[in-house]
Amino acid sequence: MADRTMNATSTSEPFPQGEAGPGREARPRVLLVEDDGKIAQEVAEELESRGFAVRHAQTGRDGLAAAMAETFDVMIVDRMLPQMDGLTLIETLRGRQVPSPVLVLSALSAVDDRVSGLKAGGDDYLTKPFAMEELAARLEALMRRPNNTRETMLHVGPLSMDLIERTVTRDGQPIELLPREFRLLEYLMRRPNQVLTRTMLLEDVWNYRFIPQTNLVDVHIGKLRRKIDDPAGVPLIQSIRGTGFMLRVPE
Amino acid sequence: MQLGEVLRTATFRLTLAVVVAMIGTAALQFAVGYSQTKAFEFRRTDELLHREAALLAREQKQDLEHKISERATDDLRVVINQAALFDTAHRHIAGDLHTWPEGLVVDGHVHEVTVLPNEDAPYILRILAVPVAGDRVLVLGRGLHMIAEWRLMMRHSLLVSIVPTVLFALLCGIVLSHRALGRVGRMHEAIDRIMDGDLHERLPAGRQRDEMQRLAGSVNRMLDRLEHLMGEIRDVGNDIAHDLRTPLARVRARLDRAQAGTLSADDLRTVIARSIDDLDQCFSIITALLRIGEIENARRRVGFSVVDLNEIATDIVDLYEPIAETRQIRLAFHAASGPVPVHGDRDLLIEVLANLIDNALKFTDPGGDVTLATYPDGQGGARLEVADTGIGIMPEERQAVMNRFYRSDKSRNVPGSGLGLSLVSAILRLHNAQLTIANARRHDARPGALFGVAFPPSAPVAAPPA
Repeated sequence: MADRTMNATSTSEPFPQGEAGPGREARPRVLLVEDDGKIAQEVAEELESRGFAVRHAQTGRDGLAAAMAETFDVMIVDRMLPQMDGLTLIETLRGRQVPSPVLVLSALSAVDDRVSGLKAGGDDYLTKPFAMEELAARLEALMRRPNNTRETMLHVGPLSMDLIERTVTRDGQPIELLPREFRLLEYLMRRPNQVLTRTMLLEDVWNYRFIPQTNLVDVHIGKLRRKIDDPAGVPLIQSIRGTGFMLRVPE
Repeated sequence: MQLGEVLRTATFRLTLAVVVAMIGTAALQFAVGYSQTKAFEFRRTDELLHREAALLAREQKQDLEHKISERATDDLRVVINQAALFDTAHRHIAGDLHTWPEGLVVDGHVHEVTVLPNEDAPYILRILAVPVAGDRVLVLGRGLHMIAEWRLMMRHSLLVSIVPTVLFALLCGIVLSHRALGRVGRMHEAIDRIMDGDLHERLPAGRQRDEMQRLAGSVNRMLDRLEHLMGEIRDVGNDIAHDLRTPLARVRARLDRAQAGTLSADDLRTVIARSIDDLDQCFSIITALLRIGEIENARRRVGFSVVDLNEIATDIVDLYEPIAETRQIRLAFHAASGPVPVHGDRDLLIEVLANLIDNALKFTDPGGDVTLATYPDGQGGARLEVADTGIGIMPEERQAVMNRFYRSDKSRNVPGSGLGLSLVSAILRLHNAQLTIANARRHDARPGALFGVAFPPSAPVAAPPA
């Protein structure tokens, strides 16, 4: 319990303090393009408290101007914006070679779908209403590109995964996994030391977009954990209270 | 109620129209009858005059003069009103017509001539002048008094019949209008009371099945539905307030204890962990409520496409298998052979299935079964069933389960928002799909619940009613 709480505190910072120190320059810069003042304020305050530097733009045009003038680590763009809608903004940015990852926000009631958001050049998609932990975890995930190399082997700590043979070993000992467990572990191993929310896992591993009423993901993680963890050692998959899970590489 | 108001009613206007039509008909009848009679009378008169003239023309000069001056024949007394003899210069010789009527021509045709006697009022005669022996002209005339009498009679009878009828019709109109106005007035009063907030009030509805009663009946049914919805919203408000209050109260109590500063570090961590759990519970309720609202507002038919129910069900069973396993429940899927296409939003349909399975697992004891099945319904639609071996749902509770924001008392102590079925209902409404609840098994203390979803044919469906 003590460890988990500690983890929750340290991982809510996008970059651990040790890496770059508390200097202002180290704070990741976020451009938030959102016309709803209340939501924008909430998001900005929350992200500031999590160590982001937030620049807020109210309209699509302001957002475009800001994105062209400065460089941001990540952008949050609402789909419905006055003057220039979110998708046009993203397309324009991509057309002008602005590479920053973009998280698209949308209201469910707006006639849209996730695919058009991603097609326009968005990198991730979040439907309102959302939890702040969810937003923070996704921003963090966007800033740290997953290990999507063409390598056929993944290594995290004692774990090795052969993507061709579909086998997993821990310290050389083979582990039997069901196909769904293999998929889940692959996703975790491509994103070590990164907070992954339950929703992200559901969306990316199972391709589902809904909030389950039960701790579905926890059960899947629990099953996987029992297979890959050494009962005596430190658990590899750690629970982050109130947020999700993390595959932690032992020091 | 003022007279003006009565006169403006539709009933009274209709009455007026009927009265006008009645008068018109009577007048037309009179006019036709009169003109027919007149034509008949003219023909008869002309025949009589010709016949009489022919008869008299055969008389000797003296006999004729005598007969005319004395009116010696019956015909001259009864049929002919005026008879006279003139010479060719139109000078009077004998008879009761003393001056040659103006405009009379001796041509063997009957003429209609206005006679102006010296002392009396002028009158109209039909007159025939024929030449007779001795260079004389015989003039025979017959008045139109028969027609005049006839006209008088008809006018009289018309008045006698039409006036009371019209008066009666007008009276009926006023009475009926008055009654209609009275009913409308009572309805107005009822509506005023409803608008003042008395939602139990209903429009007066008697036993007659006329149009007004039917309208009142429809309005009353609408009010029933509105009252029901308002009640639902009120209940939901209370329920949700209660559901949010309980965990929040627990959090508060724990924070109070923590503030007292007597807890150890470990106890504090426990307090924090439990408080986070309680707050998560609150968040899940709020998120579910917002999501239901979003789905109900949504017209996201744009995202609709044909999806295979079997494929979704296979995936979702794979997702839920571990959790069923840990609860020692067998989760089985009996798929229809071949794809089961439905027209819908894949993500939302997954949510429906997930919630139905979730719900089934929650209310099934270890050792029980949760079974999914899909069938094509043979008419292009599809059917999905989720059956469990739990306690089942009481028939009287089934309708409520499908209502908006329904929370069962049973689900209140189960983790989660408890709004899963409300979400399911909202999504299925968007799909025009029908949700039914039944017992999964017969004759059993634990009948189990069977949730059936009937999807309409997978051809694109029309937008739902707003």
